[in-house]
Amino acid sequence: MLGGRLRDWAPRLMGISAILVVLEVCSRTGVLPRESFPPVSEIYGSLLGLLVEPGLWIEVGRTMRGWAVGLLLAALLAVPLGMLLGASKRAFQMSRLVIEFLRPVPSVALIPLAVLVFGVGQDMKVFLVAFACFWPILFQSIYGVQDVDPVARDTARSYGLPPLARFARIILPSAAPYIATGLRISSAIALILALTAELVVGAPGLGRAIVVSQISGSITQMYALILATGLLGWLLNTVFLSVERRLLRWHPSHREVAL
Amino acid sequence: MLEVSHLRKVYGSEETGNVAVGDLSFVVGEKEFVCILGSSGCGKTTMLRCLSGLAPATSGQILVEGSPVDGPPEDLAYVFQDYSRSLLPWMTVERNVSFPLRYKGMSKQEAKIATADALDAVGLGDRTKAFPWQLSGGMQQRVAIARALAYRPRVLLMDEPFASVDAQTRSDLEDLLLGIWERYAVTIVFVTHDIDEAVYLADRVLVLKAPATVTTVADVDLPRPRDQITTKALPEFARLRSELLSALRH
Repeated sequence: MLGGRLRDWAPRLMGISAILVVLEVCSRTGVLPRESFPPVSEIYGSLLGLLVEPGLWIEVGRTMRGWAVGLLLAALLAVPLGMLLGASKRAFQMSRLVIEFLRPVPSVALIPLAVLVFGVGQDMKVFLVAFACFWPILFQSIYGVQDVDPVARDTARSYGLPPLARFARIILPSAAPYIATGLRISSAIALILALTAELVVGAPGLGRAIVVSQISGSITQMYALILATGLLGWLLNTVFLSVERRLLRWHPSHREVAL
Repeated sequence: MLEVSHLRKVYGSEETGNVAVGDLSFVVGEKEFVCILGSSGCGKTTMLRCLSGLAPATSGQILVEGSPVDGPPEDLAYVFQDYSRSLLPWMTVERNVSFPLRYKGMSKQEAKIATADALDAVGLGDRTKAFPWQLSGGMQQRVAIARALAYRPRVLLMDEPFASVDAQTRSDLEDLLLGIWERYAVTIVFVTHDIDEAVYLADRVLVLKAPATVTTVADVDLPRPRDQITTKALPEFARLRSELLSALRH
């Protein structure tokens, strides 16, 4: 087991180290202009320095608050609505055109509107995150309910389960893997939108900190902050995956013991 | 126990629709084991959906213990052909068997006893905490049978339950079912397309022709308890077999 893990990880670590070494050498030898591309070792040093100071964590907290509130809002609206649309053919047909029209609107195009309505603070960020996250969660919820196995439905019905029990015991668990995927995809989207709101509009958070570093000429710190956003995204995805794996261990994509 | 009179089921309108069940009448007695034999597409599954109350009949009447079927009856359990889809993968074997019982009004304690009893009856008393997908196909169908048994039905409807397991498992399951039938004193309506299986299990075999109309009725007077080797070697078995085969062909 441990040996297997090591075998998995060795090539990955080698790949990462190789890239880091090449970047370091390119910067030190001047192949890449040093003022725009500081050596990686300095970037990591700067990041480590930031990690022990409260400033970075405050910014992370601001970004994550927009991420969390927006994602939660989107989920609270999109899951029930999606399940309703998935369950009722008529409701699905009625709302289809509206959805097809609204969905392709890129969230960033709504920034001016959001600023107009919500100002440049947290509310604007939450709105953008929620709008962007709403769609993947909505669609996954619709598909999840539409994909409930008819035999499972019939089984529940033949055993006389009332509608509410059929929802709780058959439809919700069937749709859960779809909804979980929707949430995981949306978590990445939420981070992008939160950072965009901070970068473009200047709402407080990691995104604005990156812009401030760039303007003030602390290029190394700018890279360190960009690196921090990447790590944050990776961490969130990992957390979502592991929660999914735990809660949905019965699902074919997470089964450990298969026959 | 189960009375079907002039059952008719049309998908779509009466003029242009698809007639799945034409004019079906038969009676199944208390604790009788009836096999319904028919080739695929003869309307067997539609008939079962009507009997189980999953689909409304276009006309005609179905009585289970004298009361007309207008939704899934409480005294009836349905075992589906597709066990892997009928069992819920997010529930353990035990939960799969016990989850319908609460809605039948059993107390927690009663449900627990009924579940353990049914799983013992199908020989899976030691796999209660496993998930269905960790079991073989034959074992999964046994879980589905246990779920039906725990529900304490008076009538058990079975739709080609052993059609997708291997031959050895199939004959084991047939014998298991005969044992259960005697122990639980339940009425069984068993749909199959396999003549040997029908003759081996049944008291009576009905041959169905599209659109689900009874064309032949054969009483099976083979002695019980039956045995895969000696029963199937009886001359009477061979006679019934050829009688039903020619009935199916004509």
